[in-house]
Parts: sequence; C-alpha cells; structure tokens
Amino acid sequence: MKLSREAREALAAEFALGTLRGRARARFESMRASDRALAETVARWETAINPLAQGVAAVEPPARVWRAIEARVAPPRPGISSYWRPFAIVAGGMATVLLAFLLWTFQVPGGEPDFVAVLTAPDNVPRMVVSMNQPGTLKVRMVKPWKAKEGMGLELWVMPKDGKPRSLGMVKNEMGETVMRMAHEDPRVSNAVAFAVSMEPMAGSPTGQPTGPVLCSGSIAPVRSA
Amino acid sequence: MAENAALEGLLARTALGDRNAFAELYRATSSKLFAVSLRIVRERPLAEEVLQDSFVNIWRRSSDYAAARSAPLTWMTAIVRNRSLDIVRRTREEPDVDDALATNLADESAAPARDAETRQQSHSIQQCLEELDAEQRQTIALAFFHGLTHSELAAHLKKPLGTVKTHVRRGLAKLRDCLMAKGVQ
Repeated sequence: MKLSREAREALAAEFALGTLRGRARARFESMRASDRALAETVARWETAINPLAQGVAAVEPPARVWRAIEARVAPPRPGISSYWRPFAIVAGGMATVLLAFLLWTFQVPGGEPDFVAVLTAPDNVPRMVVSMNQPGTLKVRMVKPWKAKEGMGLELWVMPKDGKPRSLGMVKNEMGETVMRMAHEDPRVSNAVAFAVSMEPMAGSPTGQPTGPVLCSGSIAPVRSA
Repeated sequence: MAENAALEGLLARTALGDRNAFAELYRATSSKLFAVSLRIVRERPLAEEVLQDSFVNIWRRSSDYAAARSAPLTWMTAIVRNRSLDIVRRTREEPDVDDALATNLADESAAPARDAETRQQSHSIQQCLEELDAEQRQTIALAFFHGLTHSELAAHLKKPLGTVKTHVRRGLAKLRDCLMAKGVQ
C-alpha cells in the first residue's frame, strides 16, 4: 500500500499515541517492520510523546513479576527428565573443567595468565577462552567456531565494572588463537568484569556498540593477584 | 529514576547477556513502567503480565537498542505501552478514567525526573500540550495515559466520534509544529 507523506506521518503519530488500534495497528506494525523510514518516524513521535509517562506516579510491582521474568530469560537447561539430568550436570560443569584444563596447559613458557574468562554460548557450551598473559598480551583462543556467515565476523567486547561495553576489535572465527598486544594497565581491561562476543559486519559494529546477536559471554576469573 | 546515561550503560550490558545489569535495569525502571501499564490495562494481573512480557522483550531485543537512537526510557516505555495496548481488555462499558491526570498531565505524587535531559523532554511535551485547545489537550492526554480508542474517547467525552477524531488529528499536528519549533521533533 502506497501512502502519502502526510498519511504516514499521521498514522505514525496515532500509533505512538495509541489511538491506532485493532487490525489497523497490526497492519501498521508489519509495515513498520519492513520500512526503515516509517520506523524512524514512529521513533521520532515516541521520543516526543513518551516523556509524558514521567508524570505517572510509580507503582511497585509485586516480586513475583521479576521471578517470572528471570525464569523466562534463564538459559535453557539440557535435560528435564531424570534420564537427562547427569548430562545436564556435565554440560554445566564443562566450563569449569575446561577452565581447570586451560590453567593446567598455561603452565608453559610465558607463565600463568593474570586472568581467564571462559565464554559460553546461551546453551552453556564453552566456545572461546580469553586470557591476559605476561608480558602484555591478550589471547583469545577458539574452542568451537561458528558456521561462517557471509560478510559477518566476530567482535570481542569487554565489560567494565560500570558503563558501556568497549570493543577490543574483531577476532577470527576459526580454530586457533588471536593475540592482541595490550598493556596490563590498559583501562579497557584493568577494571573489566566480563567479555562477550557478538556477530557484527566484518568492518566492526557500525554504532560502536554491539548490534548483532551475542554469541557467547563469560566473566573474568582472576588467577593471580597483581 | 536513574539517569539516561546510566540506563544506556545497563541496556548495553544487558545486550551482552549481563544478567546483573538486566536486574539493575529492572529495579531502576519497573515501578514507573508498571504504573504506565496499569493506567492502560487497569487490572493488576494484566499489568503484571504486560511487565513480564515487556521485560522478556527488552532482554531479547536489547541488542536492537543501539540502533533505535532514542533515550532508553523512551524505548522501554514504547515496548510497555505497545504490549499494554495489545492485551487491554475492556469489560466495562464506561472506562474508568482519571480526569485529573489527563488535565494536569501528571500525578500530584509523581516526583519530577531527576536528570536534566529527561526533565527537559517531558517539559517540552507538556508545554506543547498546554498550547493546544482544552478539548484537544484532554483528548490526547486521555488517549496517552489511558489508552482509550477513538470510540471510548467519544463515549467518555460525550462527543460525536467524528469530532473526537478531528481533535486527535488536529491536536497531533499542532503538537508536531510546536515540538519542531522547540527542536524536539
């Protein structure tokens, strides 16, 4: 359906206000999903109108709401029946076993790392290991690569204790190691708490923040106190 | 309400699967968002369902947020309002409406936003609403806060449907001119 500029603007406004309802709302939503300019017009209206919501007096929701949300966003656990349970424990413990194994293999020239982070996918399977080694190198070791996707690559993010994630650059989607030179006191890693990898265009995220799906993440386990 | 920049940080970390950041985001915003939904759906069990669905959505779509180019609370409010409008059930003939909220554009007990940017945005829309005719303003406020449809607005205001639709359309057009003049739109 071809709409005039005025009609698009008016529909976007009534959508944001909420008076566009029923089937008209559903139709408009599917148009918006495939029409970037229309999505931007709606976002502009929402930015204009939604601050009105600040005027509504807050009401504390009951605790059960958060419990239900937590349960719904929890990573899927393999095995619900008792038959599968031993396997579930194996999967859950895998990251720990891998960590122990890696710590053991790090007992080689170069010394033990300052910290190690095992990055696991949402299904709890370890996919990558990030470690900070002497002297001033960050190693990213692939455990299990992903199926390659045309034009897309893996971007490594570090999460500081406060604030937004920061990019550490792209890493190879193949078995082996990516080594980055990085000083121990580099502010990007000195107060880091976790790492994550998202799928981004080969040239890196266009926004400077993760835009693609997060493939794996994991928090930092200190090995040696500095 | 936490500041915009802090919420942006929490959303960005949520996008990377940081559950603690997500919990903090919930603590910082859920009471406001619950109230927004409650005004529209009116029944607590429904508002609880909306809040639950919305936060599951926020968790899943948090990586889209960076591209949304809007303030975090605006983006989250849109998700909550959308879900509320999707599941609102009207069992009563006459919607139970708080006219004082629609007239004053804010609850008396609502604390003003703490950070300057959010306060400025809500100030702009309030000022622009105040420039509308009384009828246009009331119609738009009732639609926003209570999620009334055109025909519910007509029933509540005891006006013909066509008149109400005109108020909404003209009110929104004037609102846009005013917001553009303020550089918001």
